Amino acid sequence: MTKLDARMPDGPLQQKWEQRLEEMKLVAPNNKKKHDVIVVGTGLAGASAAATMGELGYSVKAFCIQDSPRRAHSIAAQGGINATKNYPNDGDSIWRLFYDTIKGGDFRSREGNVYRLAQVSNHIIDQAVAQGVPFAREYGGDLANRSFGGAQVSRTFYARGQTGQQLLLGAFQAMMRQVDRGKVKMYPRREMLDLVLVDGVARGIITRNLVTGEMERHAADAVVLCTGGYGRTYFLSTNAFNSNATAAWRCHKRGAYFANPCYVQIHPTCIPQSGDYQSKLTLMSESLRNDGRVWVPKDEADVDKPPHQIPESERDYYLERKYPAFGNLVPRDVASRNAKYMCDKGLGVGATGRAVYLDFRDAIEEQGRDVIEDKYGNLFHMYHKITDEDPYEVPMRIYPAVHYTMGGLWVDYELMSTIPGLFVAGEANFSDHGANRLGASALMQGLADGYFVIPFTVGNFIAEYDVQKVSTDHKAFDATEDDVQDQIERMMSIGKEGSRTVIEIYRDLGKIMYDQVGMSRTKEGLEQAREEIVGLREEFWNDVKIPGRADGYNKMLELAGRLADFLELSELMAIDASERDESCGGHFREEYQTDEGEALRRDDEFCYVAAWEYDEDGDPKMHKEELEFENVELSTRSYK
Amino acid sequence: MIPLKRALSSPVGRKFVMSISGIALVLFVIVHLLGNLTLYVPDGGETFNRYAAGFDAIGPALYVIELGLLAVIVIHIGWGITTALKNRKARPDDYAVSVNSKGGPSNLSLASKNMIVTGVALGIFLVVHIWHFRIRKIYVADNTEIDGQQHADLYALVHTAFSDPFWVAFYVGAMVFFGFHLRHGFWSTLQSLGAMKPEWSKGIYALGFLVAVVLTVGFMGIPLYIYFLA
Amino acid sequence: MAQQTMTVHLKVWRQSGSDSQGRFEQYTAEDLNPHMSFLEMLDVVNEDLIHAGEDPIAFDSDCREGICGTCGFVINGQAHGSERGTTVCQLHMRSFNDGDTIVIEPWRARSFPVIKDLVVDRDAFDRIISAGGYVSVGTGPKPDANSIKIGKDVSDKAFDSAACIGCGACVAACPNASASLFTGAKITQLALLPQGKPERTRRVQRMVHQMEDEGFGNCSNIGECEAVCPKEISIDNIAKMKREYLRAMLSDT
Ligand SMILES: Cc1cc2nc3c(=O)[nH]c(=O)nc-3n(C[C@H](O)[C@H](O)[C@H](O)COP(=O)(O)OP(=O)(O)OC[C@H]3O[C@@H](n4cnc5c(N)ncnc54)[C@H](O)[C@@H]3O)c2cc1C
Ligand code: HEM
Ligand code: FES
Repeated sequence: MTKLDARMPDGPLQQKWEQRLEEMKLVAPNNKKKHDVIVVGTGLAGASAAATMGELGYSVKAFCIQDSPRRAHSIAAQGGINATKNYPNDGDSIWRLFYDTIKGGDFRSREGNVYRLAQVSNHIIDQAVAQGVPFAREYGGDLANRSFGGAQVSRTFYARGQTGQQLLLGAFQAMMRQVDRGKVKMYPRREMLDLVLVDGVARGIITRNLVTGEMERHAADAVVLCTGGYGRTYFLSTNAFNSNATAAWRCHKRGAYFANPCYVQIHPTCIPQSGDYQSKLTLMSESLRNDGRVWVPKDEADVDKPPHQIPESERDYYLERKYPAFGNLVPRDVASRNAKYMCDKGLGVGATGRAVYLDFRDAIEEQGRDVIEDKYGNLFHMYHKITDEDPYEVPMRIYPAVHYTMGGLWVDYELMSTIPGLFVAGEANFSDHGANRLGASALMQGLADGYFVIPFTVGNFIAEYDVQKVSTDHKAFDATEDDVQDQIERMMSIGKEGSRTVIEIYRDLGKIMYDQVGMSRTKEGLEQAREEIVGLREEFWNDVKIPGRADGYNKMLELAGRLADFLELSELMAIDASERDESCGGHFREEYQTDEGEALRRDDEFCYVAAWEYDEDGDPKMHKEELEFENVELSTRSYK
Repeated sequence: MIPLKRALSSPVGRKFVMSISGIALVLFVIVHLLGNLTLYVPDGGETFNRYAAGFDAIGPALYVIELGLLAVIVIHIGWGITTALKNRKARPDDYAVSVNSKGGPSNLSLASKNMIVTGVALGIFLVVHIWHFRIRKIYVADNTEIDGQQHADLYALVHTAFSDPFWVAFYVGAMVFFGFHLRHGFWSTLQSLGAMKPEWSKGIYALGFLVAVVLTVGFMGIPLYIYFLA
Repeated sequence: MAQQTMTVHLKVWRQSGSDSQGRFEQYTAEDLNPHMSFLEMLDVVNEDLIHAGEDPIAFDSDCREGICGTCGFVINGQAHGSERGTTVCQLHMRSFNDGDTIVIEPWRARSFPVIKDLVVDRDAFDRIISAGGYVSVGTGPKPDANSIKIGKDVSDKAFDSAACIGCGACVAACPNASASLFTGAKITQLALLPQGKPERTRRVQRMVHQMEDEGFGNCSNIGECEAVCPKEISIDNIAKMKREYLRAMLSDT
């Protein structure tokens, strides 16, 4: 068994990154263009990495599923991005952001990585501003900040409710500049379907051209995976329709360990599902909980009554009741779990009974409609547009939805996976958020990885390993392409005869995952889920129906391939969740709670990263990376 | 700097040409109408002929001015036609349900969609019009004496023409195209130059309507006035 | 709660590939929940088609919340449907009447060739951006973000232009298939900000010429683009592009 080596530099926390940068080997400037680097994914992580490496002189090939790199899922992020600029002079510092992130992650992340993240956070803002990203500003011309996700300092930079869009466009434009200079070659509408290994080192990828259906081979000296999270395992989530785990999962099957797959973040303020046809859920900024009060009727008989007919005495403001100190501002996981409990008890409202009220009546009364409109006008408008209900008049209905996945491919300090030459950045890796991510820190991490970490560590790898060119005629490419081709042919041949559509099976998977591997988990439920997933997987491989042909644009075939992978990953998520006999962050096991019903972490036994090795026979093997906390003391979160 | 040749055929530069030539034409048309208002004076054409005779006083310089005007027209037509052809090429397969305006800030209208149609109609009109009054003034018109000098009796030419219902209809019809062309053109010319602020946009578009109506009615009135009243 | 359902009749453009001839096909979608989004309605139609062994209607979408710019087609002659400030993924069936006939066509422009059914190729937009839609700065140490002061008014204005999602509705709705709003918005954003000023001459020139080379039409100042833009970007951005171009024509460098 290989011991997991995080390659964490020695020395004090504050100097680790600088020291590593100094130790790194460099590639000579005129040699860089001889080195090809593949970047899969053009979200914040991928676009920033491709732009930076192109500019450094590497020959970069970048790939994305969408028709344009600008459409990566990062575009949808609303709230903001953290940095420790301390412009508001409210006492923020690198240390504080580091500590908040470690604590927010419920002490399940690596100190060294998180510290580096906090350190480079300020460079991200400088970089984005230099690119012309139009962040919100004060009248005097300075950048504006707000506090976000219950943080005690105002460290979040934002661009209206479209921060992700503006940051991504900044990175995208930087990358398109390199496209113009001929340093980056962009391949849109391509899906990476496998990783090619030569002598155990990542040397290329197989992609499918989503327009022509052709298989394409690309060789490189290093492969950087920036393919986002796997929230779509749950079918319904706030993630974009095409978000998927295929690239990461296929790398896992080629030997990359998958870390902490059970860590999933479920966001409390999403617009509830309105029917079975629903294809995705829409997030509303959690800032709404600053003024909205969450409640359900006390009596089950009242759930179908119009809310204004329910008198004050018949309403249960359950968050305020249970958590008097934090009230409606408890962290995401706590708010989500409690909403689920209320609905499980039959107190949920709305057409499906899976929603709770978020009521602004009192806030409007106290502060006036204008003030509320000023703060949340765009969110109210969005809610109104989607639900056709006016939240100024009727309370909003909200329900939690899967939002972010903290788990991902295991990487070391240099963001290299267990496969040499395969790097993983952004949401696709597991590195910085532990068991729970704080608001406004995913954008930060994606850009930190892409602009400031990957370009150096990839260079170091290329210089250190002295990689030799391989051609796409190498037999490893033949074999890998055959594997991919076989799978597609197999799916198409079953697909001709099958009776259940991809979406039908996919929805079933989503339901299993929400029910048993969602906000609240039990050993029993997880084992049952595992069984059901295995059954569903069998059903997929015997009875899936796929229309059309493989040699052209075929959305359902694409989706079938992704579902096939989700059907495997979901099982690993259930296994991981059932092995982790504790509650931490987004992972809540009912068996492990305090007397008051709060998460019970078990640091003595579970203070580790669970990195899973793939096994063809369905018996994955866990490798533990023990987490060492030298700089912070493990404490318990309390919101009472 | 952008090479002038490239600039003037670029999507932006070609609109500068359209716009500047358009402004020149509008200015000319305004002056033309002001002069022609003399036709409304009920004095058997004396004022009008006097005004027309004024041009003879300019001497050979008149030809320079006329050639300049012609050049503006040719440029406007040349750029107009190539622009329209390029636009057509940009959408080889048209929609089955043609664009159905969403309203709001849109100025999509019969006028704005059909600039090339109204423009070509105006081009045809111009050829006829120049032959009808400018060329025929030289070769066909009788002479009349003003202040002891011989001048073409343009008034008679106009009067005869506008006694014929065919010509009245022709000119009135042409002016409808002219009105539509200006209805969008007036506003468009400012926007093409970038000389537009969003706050003005609605106002100027409305002003364009007014200008188009005033000029159109002014011109249209002449044949109608002569036919029915003079 | 009893839900009222609705039925609509669809006439959808079907085209198997960029070289093949397209045609309209008729479908009827029944038992629809009015709260469905338009794309979810198509999902339902597609599920039925798949069960019936037919090829589902191809259309692009991703975020399904109006920000990625992936979705888009023309509904009854209107890009993204009848509501203003909306992408087709944000359009709900309740904005139609029970029994309506709905005609659905792809964006039509020479520079946006049809890939399949309602899916078109918008690479031309990316090439316009790569011609100059950026500030030429590399990654690396930069002056502190607050050392560049930008007044709130300017920064808000720049944001209005930067809000473009690159969906292509402006081109689709323009009678001339012009990409001026898309191009003008990026030029304007970067011309307003101090960061973008040093290379504004080169930028406007390269982007406008790229737009021309891609085969888009010319702007006739009709403004339908602004009316269909999901982000309601003003044609003032086009006027600004023209000023920038004029400036570039006259500048010494
Ligand atoms: C609604 C919403 C709001 C959010 N708001 C915030 C916020 O306010 N602040 C914050 O910090 N975070 C926020 N997040 C989280 C954050 O947006 C994401 O975690 C982050 O953007 C992920 O970036 P990424 O670069 O890792 O991946 P993504 O942006 O997901 O990009 C993935 C890329 O990989 C490509 N790809 C995937 N698979 C393949 C394949 N097989 N082959 C080829 N290409 C592939 C895709 O095409 C895409 O280009 C939000 C998330 C959501 C869903
Ligand atoms: C009295 C004669 C005319 C006047 C006063 C006139 C005036 C104008 C004006 C002011 C504009 C707006 C310019 C702009 O959009 O920037 C315009 C546009 C245009 N003109 Fe004319 N014009 C005349 C004759 C013609 C003729 C003969 C043609 C023949 C082809 C023509 C074709 C066009 C076209 C196609 C446009 C629209 C350009 C565009 O929208 O892209 N015009 N005209
Ligand atoms: S799918 Fe993203 S804008 Fe419609």
